[in-house]
Amino acid sequence: MTVVRTLTVNGQKQRVAVEPWETLLDVLREKMNLTGSKKACNVGDCGACTVLVDGEPMNGCLLLAAQLEGRSITTVEGLAQQRHGTAELTPLQQAFVHEGAIQCGFCTPGMVLAATALLNRNPDPAPADIADALAGNLCRCTGYSGIRRAIQRCANYREDGTCAAKCAAAEGHEGTDGHEGGKARRRARESNEGTVFAAGDVGDEPRISDVKSEIHAAAPPRRFSTVGVSMPRVGAADKVTGRALYTADIKLPNMIHGKILGSRIAHGIIKRIDTSKAAKLEGVLAVITGADVPETPYGVSPARYDEHVLAKHKVRHAGDPVAAVAAIDERTAEAAIDLIEVEYEKLPALLDPFEAVAEGAPLIHDQYPRNINTHVEQNFGDVEKAFAESHYVREETFTGNHIYQCPLEPHAAIACWDHDGTLVLYTSTQVPHYVQYTVAHVFHMPLGKIRVIRPAVGGGFGGKAAACPLDLCAAILARKTGRPVKMVYSREEMFHYGRGRHKQHMRFKLGVDRDGRIRAFKSEIYLDGGAYSSFGVATAYYAGSMIPTLYNIPNYRYDGYRVMTNKPAAGAMRGHGVPQPRFAFECLLTMMADDLGIDPIEIRRRNSMRPDTRTVNDLDVGSCEFDATLEAVARKSGWYDKYGKLPPGRGIGIGAGGFVSGAGYCIYRGQVQLSHEKPREHFQKRSIFPHANAVVRITEDGMAAILMIGAAEIGQGSDTILVQCCAEALGIPPQRVRMYSGDSDISPLDLGAYSSRVTLMAGHAVSRAGWDVVEKMKPYAAAMLGCAAEEVFARDGRFYSRRDEGTKARSHEGISDEATKRQGDEGLVAVSHKDEGVVWEEVARRYFNDNGPLVGTGCYKPPEGLGGDFKGATVGTSPAYSFGSAVCEASVDLETGKVRIERFTDFHDCGTPINPLAVHGQVEGAIVMSAGETIMEDVQFDEQGRILNPNLHGYLMMSIKDAPEIFSGLVDSYEPRGPFGAKEIGEGSTLPVLGAVAHAIANATGVWIKDLPITPEKILRALREKSAAKRGAELVETCEVGAE
Amino acid sequence: MRVLTPHCLSEALDLLAGDATLTPVAGGTDLLVSWPHRPKDNLSLLDLSRLHAELAPMRMTDGHLELGALTTYWDVITYAPIAGEFPLLIDAARQVGAIQIQTRGTWAGNVANASPAADGVPVMIAYDAEVVLGSRRGRRTVPLCDYYTGYKQTRRAADELILAIRLPRQRRDVHWFHKVGARQAQAITKVGVAVVHGEAGWRVVANSVAPFVCRCRNMEAALESGLHPTGPEELRAIVVRDISPIDDLRSTADYRLNVLARLLYFAPFMPGPANA
Ligand SMILES: Cc1cc2nc3c(=O)[nH]c(=O)nc-3n(C[C@H](O)[C@H](O)[C@H](O)COP(=O)(O)OP(=O)(O)OC[C@H]3O[C@@H](n4cnc5c(N)ncnc54)[C@H](O)[C@@H]3O)c2cc1C
Repeated sequence: MTVVRTLTVNGQKQRVAVEPWETLLDVLREKMNLTGSKKACNVGDCGACTVLVDGEPMNGCLLLAAQLEGRSITTVEGLAQQRHGTAELTPLQQAFVHEGAIQCGFCTPGMVLAATALLNRNPDPAPADIADALAGNLCRCTGYSGIRRAIQRCANYREDGTCAAKCAAAEGHEGTDGHEGGKARRRARESNEGTVFAAGDVGDEPRISDVKSEIHAAAPPRRFSTVGVSMPRVGAADKVTGRALYTADIKLPNMIHGKILGSRIAHGIIKRIDTSKAAKLEGVLAVITGADVPETPYGVSPARYDEHVLAKHKVRHAGDPVAAVAAIDERTAEAAIDLIEVEYEKLPALLDPFEAVAEGAPLIHDQYPRNINTHVEQNFGDVEKAFAESHYVREETFTGNHIYQCPLEPHAAIACWDHDGTLVLYTSTQVPHYVQYTVAHVFHMPLGKIRVIRPAVGGGFGGKAAACPLDLCAAILARKTGRPVKMVYSREEMFHYGRGRHKQHMRFKLGVDRDGRIRAFKSEIYLDGGAYSSFGVATAYYAGSMIPTLYNIPNYRYDGYRVMTNKPAAGAMRGHGVPQPRFAFECLLTMMADDLGIDPIEIRRRNSMRPDTRTVNDLDVGSCEFDATLEAVARKSGWYDKYGKLPPGRGIGIGAGGFVSGAGYCIYRGQVQLSHEKPREHFQKRSIFPHANAVVRITEDGMAAILMIGAAEIGQGSDTILVQCCAEALGIPPQRVRMYSGDSDISPLDLGAYSSRVTLMAGHAVSRAGWDVVEKMKPYAAAMLGCAAEEVFARDGRFYSRRDEGTKARSHEGISDEATKRQGDEGLVAVSHKDEGVVWEEVARRYFNDNGPLVGTGCYKPPEGLGGDFKGATVGTSPAYSFGSAVCEASVDLETGKVRIERFTDFHDCGTPINPLAVHGQVEGAIVMSAGETIMEDVQFDEQGRILNPNLHGYLMMSIKDAPEIFSGLVDSYEPRGPFGAKEIGEGSTLPVLGAVAHAIANATGVWIKDLPITPEKILRALREKSAAKRGAELVETCEVGAE
Repeated sequence: MRVLTPHCLSEALDLLAGDATLTPVAGGTDLLVSWPHRPKDNLSLLDLSRLHAELAPMRMTDGHLELGALTTYWDVITYAPIAGEFPLLIDAARQVGAIQIQTRGTWAGNVANASPAADGVPVMIAYDAEVVLGSRRGRRTVPLCDYYTGYKQTRRAADELILAIRLPRQRRDVHWFHKVGARQAQAITKVGVAVVHGEAGWRVVANSVAPFVCRCRNMEAALESGLHPTGPEELRAIVVRDISPIDDLRSTADYRLNVLARLLYFAPFMPGPANA
C-alpha cells in the first residue's frame, strides 16, 4: 500500500510516494538521491543519518516517511546552500574542515547536523552542552576531539571565513616547524633529548577545547614548505557537504541487489539446501549456494587458504555464508533469503580455545590437528637460567576480549563485468591490491582483468584488510545475471562476518634484577582464532614479535597457539595482535615496579629501547625516542605529584607501546601474478617488487599535478599526507596536486592501508615520483635561469637558482637522507626572493612543448635482508619503529564501579610528522577507541555460539560523553629511513592505551583486573573479594591474638 | 503491510475498534528497532502523527500535569514550568538515549512499550502518575504503578489508546533519580531508581531489576518507619524482597542488587552514617 506525502526537503516542496515501511533515510537515499545521510546502524544507535526535522535533530532511520506529511527536512546537502544561496560552506562546516573534525567522514554529515541544531539553539555552547548535543552521534576515528574543537571555534569562521584563512596561514608559518633542520635531527640522534611539540601548536591561538596548548620557543626557519604543515584534509569539503561517495552511495544503471544467507548454527554439516522457493519469488534473479562457487579456497595467508566463497559442505560459525541471492531490490533479496531452507547436522560448537584443543574435540578443519591452526615457538637466550638468576620473578595470567573494528561504514561492494570480460569491482577496502589478488586467485583470472575501484571508505581499522564474501559473491551474481550487483552488509552482518581482534589468553612470566632491569620474559598465549585462518598466522607471530621492541629483553621465550573455534574468524585490527599482549606486559611490569618500590615510569626508563639497536629477535630499531616520550608524559601529566598520592577512587596509570612502520615483506610470495601460475618459490629475504608505486603527471599547462598511487585512503588521512610529500618534492603548493588513489586502472600498485605502512612506503614513492618530474624540468629551468641544471631547485611554485640565492649548497652535516640528497639543503635558508626565479608552470609547458607528457614515477622497496633466520623472523620486520607513552587519569565510582576516563597525556615518537594535525587526530582517535576497548567493548556469545550483541547499543563504543580530555604531544625525532624523517602513528597510538587505563583503575581501586574489558561488575566483585579477604585475615588475626 | 493515518482521535478509536490488530505508532523509536525486518513483516500501522491537536498538548492544571500521548522528552525538557515541580521528568528525559531520541520518542510510547528498562516510567510512577486510556467504549484511568501485569504485559486493551499521562501536583521535598548505564549516553539502563517524598509519603521505584518497572514497597515502608541503616547490606536485605534481578547481556543480578542497595544507601536523603 503506497501512500503519497508532501515533504519539504532542503527548502523544496516535494510529493513522494512511499511504502508504509519506508524510513525517511531510505527515501532520501534511494528515491531522492540524497546519499549524504549515511546508513551505519539503521536502528538509531549511531546518528550517522541525523537530519533536521523542523529544525530538530532526528535519526532518519527511525522516521517512518509516511508519518512526515508537511514536515520540513534538512539534510547535509541542504546546509551549505541554505545560508548563502551557493554551495559555500557554513562556518561550522569550515570549522570541521580546518580543525581536524573529519577523518573517514562517515559520521560527519550527522555530526554537522546535530551541531548545527545545537548552534541554532545556543550559539555559544559550553563543553557540556556540546557533549549533550552530540551524544547520539558515534565517531570511530577522531576521538571527538577535533569535533569539539570545531564547534567551539566555529565563531572564528563566522565572518566570511577570514579567520579560517588566518588560522590556516598561521599554521603554515608557526606550526610545528621546530621539527625541521639538521640541528634538531642531530640533537635527537645524539642526546635522546627530544624537544616537545604539542597538539596545541597547530594554530596561532591556544586550543580552547580538550587539548591544552603548549607554546614552545620560536622555531628555526622551515626547511620544507608543505611537509610538516597541519594542512586540512584533501577531500574534507566533500565529506562535510555529503558529496563524498562511499560504495553504498553509488548507483549503476540496471543495478540489482544481493544478500547473503548466513548459517544459523555455529558448527555443522549441510545436509540439504532447497532454494526453489527463493528462486520462484518474483523479482529474484539468481540464487547461489556452495555448489555454484569455485572449489578454490582463499584467505589471507597463502599457506593457509581455508575459506570458500560459500560453505561447501560444512558451516563453522554462526553467520558463515551459505547461500546468496540477487534480486531487483534489497527488500526482495532479503525476503528471498528467508525462503531458503537449509538442513544441518549439528556438531558440537567449540567456543573457547581450551575446549577446542582438548583431546577428542571435533575438528573444525581436518587439516589442523587438535584445532591448532599454528603454533609459534620462539626461544632467544636462556630464559630458565635467567629466571633462576633474577632477583624477582612474577607470573600472571591475563585475558583479552573480543573487539571489533566497527568502522562506521559497513562493508559494501558493487560488481559488474565489462563486455570484454573485465571485472569492475567497487569495494570498501583498505587493500585494493590484495582484493584484486584474491579475486584473481578465486576466479583463476589475470589480475590485469580485474579493476578495483575504492570509493571513499568510512574507516577500516583492519576490518577491511582482505577480500570479503561481498566482493566475491557480488562478482559471481553479477556474472550470473549480467547486471551490476550491489551488496551491503547490515551492522548485524558486520559482526557475523567478523575479522575482529583475536581474544588472547596470556600467561606471562617476567624476571628482573634488584634494580628492576629485565632479565627474562616468557609468554604463552592461546589466541582464539575463530573459524578461519584469515590473518591469524601473522597475528600469532605479532603477538610475540613486538614485545622486545620496546624494552631491552635479553632472554625471551614465546609460545603462541592460534586455535580454531566456532566463532567468526578473528583477523587483524589496529595494532595487529599486539594490544592485548602489550596490555598484559605493561600491567605486569607495573605490578613488579610497585612490588619493588620502583616508580613505574622509572622502571620503564631503566629498560627502554635505545636507538640503533638490534633486538633479541633480530629486529632493527633505528630512530628511537622512547625515553623522551616517557620523560615528557611524566612531566606533562604531573606524574610525580600524583602517583601514589591520589585519594581513593582516583587513579593515574602509565602505559607504553610502539609499532612497525610498514611490514618488511608482502603477504604473498613472488611477483605480482596469478598465484596458480607462479612457480613455487623459496622465500627470499628481499621484496620481489616495490610495495608502493606512484606516477605523477603534470597537466599540459603546468598548473596541476595528477598524483596516482593505489594507497588506500580510508579516513586515516593518507591522501593528504601523500599530496604533501609529493607537493614538497615537486616544489609546488599542495593545492595544485590532485590525488587519484581509488582506481587500480589509473593508480599503480600500493599494498594498502595496513601495518601502518602508507606514510613511510607510499610517502617515499610519491616524493620520488615528484623528484623525477623535477629532474626532467631542471634543464629547462636552468636554461631560463641561465645556470647549470644542478644549480636549480623548485619551491613554492617557482624554480630558483641556488647561485642566485647567494648561498652555496650547504654541507649535509653528515646526514645522508634522501630528501637532503635530492633537494639539497636550500630549505635551511629561507628563500629570500631577492630573485623572482621562474614560474614552475612555464618550465613545465616548455618541457611539454619539446617532449610531450611530463610524467614522473617513483617506487619504494623495503630494505633487503630485514629480519633474522628463525621461523617467523619476517613478522615484525620493518624499516622503522614508532614509540609512545601515555598517562591515563581515571576516577572510579566505588559505589557502582563505574569508570570515568578523565584525561590522557600522550607523547609519541612518530618520526618527523608530515602533518601534525593528522598525527594528533590519529592519537586522539586511538585513545578513545582503545580506552573503550579496555573498559567496555566486548562481543558476547551465547552457548550456541551466536552473537548476543551484534549492534551498536549492545556493543559499546565510547560516545562523546565517555571520551576523555586528551593532550597529544610529539617528541622531536627523525628517522633516516622514512620520507622526510617520518615513521608511523596509526597503530602505534593504540598500544600504550590499554595498559595505562588498567593501571589507572588499579591505582584508583587497589585491585588489578586482568581480564578485559574492565567492567564495573568486575571491579565491584574484586573489591568485595578483597574486603572479604581482608576481613578473613583480620578474623584470623583476632583468633590468633585470642589464642595467645 | 499498510499504514492508516486517521485525522482525528475519534476516527483513530473507530479504526482500533474495528481492527484490534492495528499497531499504534507514535515516535516509532521503539517500534522501528524491535521490528528489524521492517519490509518483511505484515504489520498494520495506526499512525498517530496527525492527532497532534488532540494528543500533543502538555498542560499544567490546578491538580495535575498532563502529558498528552504525543508529548516527547524534548517537549518536557524545554517546558519551563516542569523544572520546579517535576524535576525528575527532566532528569530522566535527558538520560533517554540521546537528543535524536529525545526529540522523537514519547512518554506514552515509553509506557506502552513496557520495557523493564524504560527510564521515563520510574520517575512517572514516583510522581504517582496515572495512565488515561481511551477507546470507543469510553475512558478510564489506571495508576501507572498498576499498569504492568508481567513482562511486556499491560492493562491496555487492544482497542485502547493511551490518551495522556497525568501526574498529580503535590508538595514534595525529595526528588532523586539515578540511572546506571554502561556508557554516558545511548545506554540501556542496568539499574535505575527514582525516589520521591511528599504528601503521599515515600516512593521508591526501580527499573531493570524486575520483569517490569516496579515500586519497592518494602523499601518505601522502611523509609516511612524511619529507617537508619548502618550499611548498604541492610538496605540490600530489604530491597531484595522488592525486586527480582537477572543476569543478562548487560549486567548480573548480583551487580544490580548490590548497586541498587549502595545507590540508596549513599543517596542524599538517606539517614544514616553515609550522610552523617
Ligand atoms: C537509540 C535508542 C536509544 C534509546 N534509549 C532509551 C533510553 O535510554 N531509555 C528509555 O527508556 N528508552 C530508550 N529508547 C526507547 C524509546 O525511545 C522510548 O521508549 C520512547 O519513549 C518510545 O516512544 P515512541 O513514541 O518512539 O514509541 P513508538 O515506537 O511509537 O511506540 C512504542 C510502543 O508503544 C505503542 N504506543 C505508542 N504510543 C501509543 C499510544 N498512544 N497508545 C497505545 N500504544 C502506543 C506502540 O504501538 C509500540 O508498541 C531508546 C530507543 C532508541 C532507538
